[in-house]
Amino acid sequence: MEPSKTNNSESKYWRSLRAYHNDPSVDDAKAREFAKEVTDGFDVDAMSPMSRKQFLALVSASAAFAAAGCTNYRDKGAIVPYIKKPEEITLGKANYYASTFVDNGQEYGILIKTREGRPIKIDGNPDHPVNKGKIPARGQASILNLYDPERLKDPMVVESGILSKSSWKDVDASIIAALSAAVKEGKEIAIITHTITSPTAKKVLNDFTAKYPTAKIYSYELFNDLNRRSAWMKSTGDRSAGTVTPAFPLIKWNEAKIILALESDFLGYEGNIAEQTRMFVENRNVDNAKNISRIYSADGTMNSTGMNADYRLRVRPDRQLEFVLALINEFAPNGKASLKDFAAKNGLDAADVKQLVKDLSENKGKSIVHAGNALPESVHIAVNVLNEILGNSALYNKEQSSVEYVETSKNDEWEALINKMNGGKVGVVIHFDSNPVYHLASDYGYAEALKKVGSVVTLAEMQNESSAASNYVLPINHAFESWGDHKTRTGIISLQQPVISPLYNSRQKEALLLAWTVSAAAFTETLYHEYLMTRWEKEVFPAMKSSVDFKTFWYSALHDGVVTFSETAQAFGKATSDALNTVAPVSAANDFVLYLHDNYFVGDGRYANNGWLQEMPHPASKIAWDNYAAIGVATSREMGIDENSMIEVSVGGRSLKLPVHVQPGLSDKFIAVMLGYGRTVSGTVGTGVGFNANLFMSKSASLSPWLYSGVTVTKTSDKYLLASSQEHHQLDDTFLKDIHKKRDIIQEGTVVQFLADPKFLEKEHSGSTIIPKIKYDGVKWAMAIDLNKCTGCGVCTLSCNVENNIPVVGKDQLGKGREMAWIRIDRYFSGTSEAPSVSNQPMLCQHCDSAPCENVCPVIATTHSPDGLNQMAYNRCVGTKYCSNNCPYKVRRFNFYDFRSEFNDGIQYQQPLNMLHNPEVTVRSRGVMEKCTFCIQRIMEGRELAIENGTVFDGSGVTVACQEACPADAIVFGNMNDKNSEIYKYRHHEIGYRVLEEINVAPNVTYVAKLRNVESQTEKA
Amino acid sequence: MNKSYLDYFLKIRLPIILFVALASLTFTYYVSRAERDGVGYAPEQPIPYSHKLHAGMMGMDCQYCHTGASKSRHAMVPPLSTCMNCHTIARKNMPNIIRLTQYYNEGKLMPWKRIHKIPDYAYFNHSVHVNKNIPCQQCHGNIQELDVVKQANSWTMNNCISCHKNAPELLANIPGIKKGPVNCFACHR
Repeated sequence: MEPSKTNNSESKYWRSLRAYHNDPSVDDAKAREFAKEVTDGFDVDAMSPMSRKQFLALVSASAAFAAAGCTNYRDKGAIVPYIKKPEEITLGKANYYASTFVDNGQEYGILIKTREGRPIKIDGNPDHPVNKGKIPARGQASILNLYDPERLKDPMVVESGILSKSSWKDVDASIIAALSAAVKEGKEIAIITHTITSPTAKKVLNDFTAKYPTAKIYSYELFNDLNRRSAWMKSTGDRSAGTVTPAFPLIKWNEAKIILALESDFLGYEGNIAEQTRMFVENRNVDNAKNISRIYSADGTMNSTGMNADYRLRVRPDRQLEFVLALINEFAPNGKASLKDFAAKNGLDAADVKQLVKDLSENKGKSIVHAGNALPESVHIAVNVLNEILGNSALYNKEQSSVEYVETSKNDEWEALINKMNGGKVGVVIHFDSNPVYHLASDYGYAEALKKVGSVVTLAEMQNESSAASNYVLPINHAFESWGDHKTRTGIISLQQPVISPLYNSRQKEALLLAWTVSAAAFTETLYHEYLMTRWEKEVFPAMKSSVDFKTFWYSALHDGVVTFSETAQAFGKATSDALNTVAPVSAANDFVLYLHDNYFVGDGRYANNGWLQEMPHPASKIAWDNYAAIGVATSREMGIDENSMIEVSVGGRSLKLPVHVQPGLSDKFIAVMLGYGRTVSGTVGTGVGFNANLFMSKSASLSPWLYSGVTVTKTSDKYLLASSQEHHQLDDTFLKDIHKKRDIIQEGTVVQFLADPKFLEKEHSGSTIIPKIKYDGVKWAMAIDLNKCTGCGVCTLSCNVENNIPVVGKDQLGKGREMAWIRIDRYFSGTSEAPSVSNQPMLCQHCDSAPCENVCPVIATTHSPDGLNQMAYNRCVGTKYCSNNCPYKVRRFNFYDFRSEFNDGIQYQQPLNMLHNPEVTVRSRGVMEKCTFCIQRIMEGRELAIENGTVFDGSGVTVACQEACPADAIVFGNMNDKNSEIYKYRHHEIGYRVLEEINVAPNVTYVAKLRNVESQTEKA
Repeated sequence: MNKSYLDYFLKIRLPIILFVALASLTFTYYVSRAERDGVGYAPEQPIPYSHKLHAGMMGMDCQYCHTGASKSRHAMVPPLSTCMNCHTIARKNMPNIIRLTQYYNEGKLMPWKRIHKIPDYAYFNHSVHVNKNIPCQQCHGNIQELDVVKQANSWTMNNCISCHKNAPELLANIPGIKKGPVNCFACHR
């Protein structure tokens, strides 16, 4: 272990290992506004010999001649009104429609904002009882998929080896013929789907199997909870195999005083993120400091939950079983394992472990131990037993349970299918919006077996690996063009309605199956819509015992987007200690362990073509546009592997070369790799991004499909450049005059410290300035960010991207420090490089009262508004970048290119992506500076509304995009002159501070200092 | 070159050249100003709709057709169905109304010529002005007296700002009218 960085002459916080080791290049980078290489590619000699002036003269002369000669220069085009205007549309005003977003088997109620009939923004539906107005990052960005120019536009058929355009009529006829032939010959029809969350879709599948009796449905997810399910079955003995029932209870996170997360990223990528984050932060309220919960995480990777943990224990996933058994021994001694020995063996801090045992025993029935989905079944069984011993089953939700329609297919079912495919006993395979060629473990040999199937039909929005191996490739509607209902919890059904008519010649996937069930001629645009309504009228409506007629009920349900009713939840038995007998002890491996895990943004690869998601930096490593082999600091030193070198990782004969990222905080002898990358067929944005680590997965994995021991790692001489934003835009913390003084960009304390002295952070400020102070009498905008609630998930960034028309810049531009996001999450480490603690800080324009950027602009393009906003007039900006040079927060972004035309051959200028733009925000072009505007378009909308209603605009009711999206409600925005507002309270919070306050720029963003709930008075380093 | 010619050139010729050049520039600049700003632009419309007849002589409220004016940024050119509210009966035998009915019945789009336009980077909003009781005529001129609509005022930033700065004087008949905002974000975002 290296000494922790607490000596006085240096900053306690660091963002990269280079900073940790005091690399002089870091100080150099901090002193600059932009990264050194940010102007690379601007070699004057390499550019066209024609000077800019010559070029402009030529262009303007030719334009003038053309304009004078050929057109009526006064012509301003035409205004074409509606013939009959739809009643609900007022041009220039947004309409909102309730619908549902489904991600990895989780449903989120959403509101889709449409302008003049086109969806432009999605946010959570506040009336939805599960996600209560919040959605995950993928939901925010999913609107890009709707307008993706590379979507399939017509049905395609492979004719003599070439994929060519066909018509629905021909395709329907030949597929129905193939289906009938398969039934006649007794061959199987395999429908392969992701998790089905819709009861009506299930009914469609039932109808289909009734018509074609040889049809069988297979369901899979790359990241599934099969281990958890089977563990519940084994620990309670409740569930007879084969019946479709919910298999594990939901957890009341908001009632947990102590949370022990075992490699479980419930704040990052596992389960219903919006709901879990909300429930978790309920107990992270500074104003109720006595009841702040405590979170322990025991994990090998550096994940969101671990980054937010009060105590983080480094436990490699293969040793989790030993750890849980040792914990069980503490509460129900059986002499099998000793926690002390375990802690000593794994280098855990004995005091921390002791504290954990103390907390768990003092909070029986109020704590929860939660294991990650990827951990082996045995760990889940042990965790169930431990929770039962501690009485934590009180936190299992008894009012509500999850619902499932098609059980996730198990290993033996897949093997049987592939045997049948190889034996020529499968007539038709239908990929029902799924991509098994990419997702299924390579040793199933699925891609090979598929070649022996006569008809392979892929229903997809875009070309993918499976469609490339198909005879029929059929375009399906995006979720925003589709009807549907979703039920993943008892007592709640969410409705999905289309908000735009299909952009292309595509059909809804359920309607396709329906048409094949009835007859090809049966297809109409409204086929599935009517089917859905009929099922609701006959099956759902009567049970609701509603006092209104069906039509009224249906329209009100569509309006709300969700229907709730009382339904009894699944009951769960007790986990018995006998279950532990089935648990085989795992021998502690001393070689490398490989852990494959979900990623935060592109998911299982489905969102690979979504540039916004690809460009979001990983919360811990800050690397975007790639996956990599993360290894610990000690391991990298031992093996002599550096960042950006490549290693060859092999498991059981399967090997892959991966770039290395040295991740502080990672376990030793441990490699963590994200899945969902390395797509070979996924549009021009997603193809070839990262490495396909799916190939490590094996059907016969001994521990878990995501966890492998016996891994060999070999160094190679290859290099690979990862694009990371981790050292970009670092705030300069060496105080020029007063070098001893710390800049305190991050300020933290502990709960104990706060309870003893709530004003522990307060300092004296001189407040003297040579700039006259301006009084703001009317509305004065300000923001507060509660760092106790912020989990660093990045949803704010994506929401901002969509709202403010932020372009995708691509990996090479990101690597040069030219990312355009207006709000970034700064991630600071402190403590040792092996076991650091993490502080997240969203950083955006602080709208300083005495903004240094404003004084230096030579063309007065950035000025101050009377309501305290730092304004930016794009059409005035000439691009000197002087403002940015003078910004202490490094939040100004310069358009080094017109990134829309620069990135990926100008794909962002292709139709119909222009429909995605928010019409209330200018689309910026090359050469202008931009930055956060505090969503001026939303402020103006609030002002317009007040004028329309004849009321005084007091600033209430304005929500900015990041605030609206924040799942933790960590962002507060409003008028700080309004003494009744929430922002006023935060602005004068005891532990609120302003970053770089001492340089007297008077920033208007207040950060509420993070309180770590640790036992000692001082922070744990 | 002899001395007297240089003398003559510097004292007489050059000043005259400079004066003529400057004077013609200034003259052209001011004379063409209105046209460059679009003032007086009155294109021919697909149907010769008369504001004088509808708004002036019959006294129809502007917002009967321009329904967005008090609700939205756009005043909105009315959908054809609004015309047909009256013209299914009124004057249905006039040739232009027959053409209008044809457009409506056949679902053909009516390409009205656009007269008023401000640049893309300025975000003008009708509702805030209309709801402050600022008359349409303030910007659009006496439109109720025009058979053919033309642009009455120049719509430069200068014009916007001068009204925003002097609203209490310019609009003295509107009680309680205050100055308009003159900060950048008021129009640019």
